[in-house]
Amino acid sequence: MIHLLEDTINGVLMGSIYGLAALGLTLIFGVLKVINFAHGSLLMVGMYAAYWAVLLTGVHPYLALVFVLPLMFAFGYLLQAVVIQPIFKAEREVREPITVIIVTTGVWYILDNLALLVFGPQYRNIQDNPLRGRMIEAGEMLISVPKLWGFCAAVATAALIWLFLQKTRMGRAVRATSLDRDAASLQGINPYKIYNIAFGLGTAVAGVAGVALVPFYNIFPTVGVLFDIKCFIIVVLGGLGSIGGALLGGMIIGVIESVGPQFMTATWTEAIVYGLFLGFLFLRPSGLFGVKYDW
Amino acid sequence: MKIVRILVASIACCGWLLGAAAEAPAQAVVKVGNILPLSGPSASVGLQNKQAQDMAVQEINDAGGIKSLGGAKIQMLYADSESKPEKGVAEAERFINTEKVHILTGAWNSAVSYPVSAVAERYQIPFLVPVSVADKITEQGFKYVFRIAAKDSWWTRDQFAFLKDLQAEFNAKVATLAFVYENGDWGKGFAEGWKKHAQAGGYKVVLDEPYPSTATDLSPVVQKIKRANPDVLLLTSNAADAILLTNTMAEYKVKPKAIVASGGGHADPSYLKAAGKNARYLFDIVEWETDVNKPGAKETNEKFKKLYGYNLTGESVDAYAAMYVLADALERAASTDPRAIRDALAKTRLTKGPAMIVGYDAIEFDESGQNKHAALVMVQVNDLGKGLERITVWPKASRRAGYKPVFPIP
Repeated sequence: MIHLLEDTINGVLMGSIYGLAALGLTLIFGVLKVINFAHGSLLMVGMYAAYWAVLLTGVHPYLALVFVLPLMFAFGYLLQAVVIQPIFKAEREVREPITVIIVTTGVWYILDNLALLVFGPQYRNIQDNPLRGRMIEAGEMLISVPKLWGFCAAVATAALIWLFLQKTRMGRAVRATSLDRDAASLQGINPYKIYNIAFGLGTAVAGVAGVALVPFYNIFPTVGVLFDIKCFIIVVLGGLGSIGGALLGGMIIGVIESVGPQFMTATWTEAIVYGLFLGFLFLRPSGLFGVKYDW
Repeated sequence: MKIVRILVASIACCGWLLGAAAEAPAQAVVKVGNILPLSGPSASVGLQNKQAQDMAVQEINDAGGIKSLGGAKIQMLYADSESKPEKGVAEAERFINTEKVHILTGAWNSAVSYPVSAVAERYQIPFLVPVSVADKITEQGFKYVFRIAAKDSWWTRDQFAFLKDLQAEFNAKVATLAFVYENGDWGKGFAEGWKKHAQAGGYKVVLDEPYPSTATDLSPVVQKIKRANPDVLLLTSNAADAILLTNTMAEYKVKPKAIVASGGGHADPSYLKAAGKNARYLFDIVEWETDVNKPGAKETNEKFKKLYGYNLTGESVDAYAAMYVLADALERAASTDPRAIRDALAKTRLTKGPAMIVGYDAIEFDESGQNKHAALVMVQVNDLGKGLERITVWPKASRRAGYKPVFPIP
């Protein structure tokens, strides 16, 4: 029983970090209506940014956010403004432009290979940081401190984004654009600027996920690919575009991955996760919190 | 016109005579056809193989070549297989039919060596295989294939032989084992071997856990290890998961008496860096290690490093040793007839000379052509004051002088 509780807690904590990683993806999709295939690579960039920030300055990993957040926001903003926007403009008449998806795939390959070129194929991690290897011992249970931090970061990030979207003028403009691009531009909103901001925000959130992972995870050029697939499953599970859905979807996957292996081999839990993914696509393609047709 | 024709004919005639004259000293050359992956995915290891062989051949030729053949030199011919079986077979045919080689070696990739062994058998040309490890290469009943390296299935055999010796040395008992392995072909192959040996050795298997190498969180697997509480944990992992497992195990304070890994990710150079002190006391099985306690090993490695800029690996050591095995066989055959070379190779019993930088004591082929003494070495990761390093501990004869393995993990 105590084991079950311990595994569930670990699952929720790890799952919230998956959710955090998926948050940026769902945000970008909600506004741009484009699946960003480069999302894992953005996460990878975030991880390297956090890694170098911590390694060079020696600060607490979460203090690196001060540096990582603006950098990642600017990176995402420029990526959208310079690389993706021209394609968007060329496909102005299409609501869900397919070519943009292909462009994001190209960005994925370029970023991963650039990282390979610049940083080399080595696996890195930060040996000495105040979070690494720390565990809370509660009776017989062991709870990972860096994952607990990740959980708090995920919840805080989701809450802040929700507040931003609901309460600020800019947030309302983002929601308006996501609801109806043409109607929004008739109200004087420049949709391309909103796209840039949404992409920048999504990338910054990937940076937060990178910071949350760096204290306990390995960093290498193709690390994004491992999380990419998970993010897609989470987003489908939670509902495309839903902030809370991403967090909850992540936790569901985390708990399956953590509790499942105690009853079967770890290989099988992967099959269950993919099975769930297919099941949702068949039975409830809008996910837990997505709107049935559109929103 | 006629004069021209005569002229041409006589020139051609002269050319032919000259050619013949040039060929006469060429009798004193032993042609070795080498098939290696020199481009494509395995290019870097193929090149290391070539460099080790070139260094050995240079040494043999400089020392006066093959004396029983009047100082004949060994001539190395290289062909690129690109790791492709069909390319390897075509090059083998070309070597035999066009280049008239006396012996074939290569081909690094098991997938290439396997079909090439059939070509060699058909033309009755001896095929000396330094490192392709797939068991089946020497299990076809062929007479012309000889392999230096240990077979694939011997890795698990030696892991269990090591476990037995470890218990004897420390007068301790290992009763329970846990198997944790990546769920690909490689990991599953190892697990099959482990199961067989565990049953034969009377061990109790308390956990048998394949996991996906792409897992982003391995704490569930680590929890299972912790709850199964094995005496010894056997691992087969790729690099990213090896690092993650080692670090997560340290977090959850999982400490079996010993952890025995299977090379691969645990032998990756970035593993020690990324796992740091958590990797301390891990046992890992490899073909060879630079500190192996054999005469000449250090000097040979230094020479190689000076020439090419990196350390010898287990595979390049096998490639290096293979050339000395060949020289020894040629010396005894006193002939370049492939059949005579084959018979001499079959009677090989090499116990001294530069080839003996390998981790075991003799090279001798069994009926199938497999080097029956080939064995692997076990290293322990430890910090002796100069940072973490891999220290050879087994077989005992090769153990680094003065080192005592740490068991159980403190």
